[in-house]
Amino acid sequence: MNEGLVVVVRSVIGFFSLLIFTRIIGKEQISQLTFFDYVLGITIGSIASELTVDLSSRAWPHWIGLLSWASLGYFMEVITLKWRYAAKYLEGEPTIVIMKGKIMEKSLKKMKYRVSDIMALLRNKGVFDLNQVDFAIIEPNGQISVLKKPEHMPLTPKDMNMKVVPDGISTELIYDGIIIEENLAQLNKDKAWLIRELKKQGINDASEVFLATLNPAGSLYVDKYDDHIKKILDIGDYKGPY
Amino acid sequence: MRKFLVISIPICTIVIFILIMQSGIFLKYSSVGDDNIPKMIEKIMENISEEHWEEANKNTADLKEAWSKIVFRIQFSTERNEINDFSVSIARLEGAILARDKSSAFMELKEALQHWMYLGK
Repeated sequence: MNEGLVVVVRSVIGFFSLLIFTRIIGKEQISQLTFFDYVLGITIGSIASELTVDLSSRAWPHWIGLLSWASLGYFMEVITLKWRYAAKYLEGEPTIVIMKGKIMEKSLKKMKYRVSDIMALLRNKGVFDLNQVDFAIIEPNGQISVLKKPEHMPLTPKDMNMKVVPDGISTELIYDGIIIEENLAQLNKDKAWLIRELKKQGINDASEVFLATLNPAGSLYVDKYDDHIKKILDIGDYKGPY
Repeated sequence: MRKFLVISIPICTIVIFILIMQSGIFLKYSSVGDDNIPKMIEKIMENISEEHWEEANKNTADLKEAWSKIVFRIQFSTERNEINDFSVSIARLEGAILARDKSSAFMELKEALQHWMYLGK
């Protein structure tokens, strides 16, 4: 028995099974995971690692375990999507911990949060003074959502009755010196237009450009390979190996 | 076409994985005829009960060779311990034949047969 070869084959099985199952389970980001999702992820990962290196048992039962956990995870996801009553029970619900500027002690106790935890979460959100908080809600994923009192809200163009042009999402026109013609066509532009715009910025060829993007407002961002910046600012706070 | 590929590639991948993991049940059986383990064990049992030790020795060497071929085929779908236990049974059988020990040889053969039955299950 060639143990190395068996581990390689089992690794391929584990890796791609995990990839397929996680793609099916969902696209939630790590920050959106509830505690149960987090534990589910760890368990599935642990089963996959055993499938790979535990040669004292067949790959099949481990794979069935992986499939079962992934299926249950998917099943739970479907239930919480289709049935809000169950979702409330399974995933928890947002809890108000500060209401009209007052801390809800009972809610904190129920959620097993200390005031210092709330203060830390608020600081993470850039709130250092409790006087500024109107509402604070602990979301099921453990993050805090904060609504500041109106007098502490940032000023917006709407408050000033100013009209603003929406920036929209930029589209890549050149990446790594190569013009992306599909994106140009999508924006109703052509190669000749792009070359004219580049020439205005003193660039003779697209190959000199690392990245060029265009936003719907018509503003072109161009980054050349040659930036003429010799010394890059060192923002490290401690001397390291490089 | 694109949607078909997006769905069919993962399904095919999973099916291939299942076939690899379950292949031991089929691959342990003879493919060309010279590696039929239960038949070989039966033959060695006959040799031992008739006390044809030389022939038993030769057939055990054949069994060992056939086993090494089968291990290569089933290694991805069976557990290491069953493979090792079968190999150990063959080694003990060789010793029993060398010592002309009929009862030990039968014991090892029966144990090997048991390991064979559990392979891939």
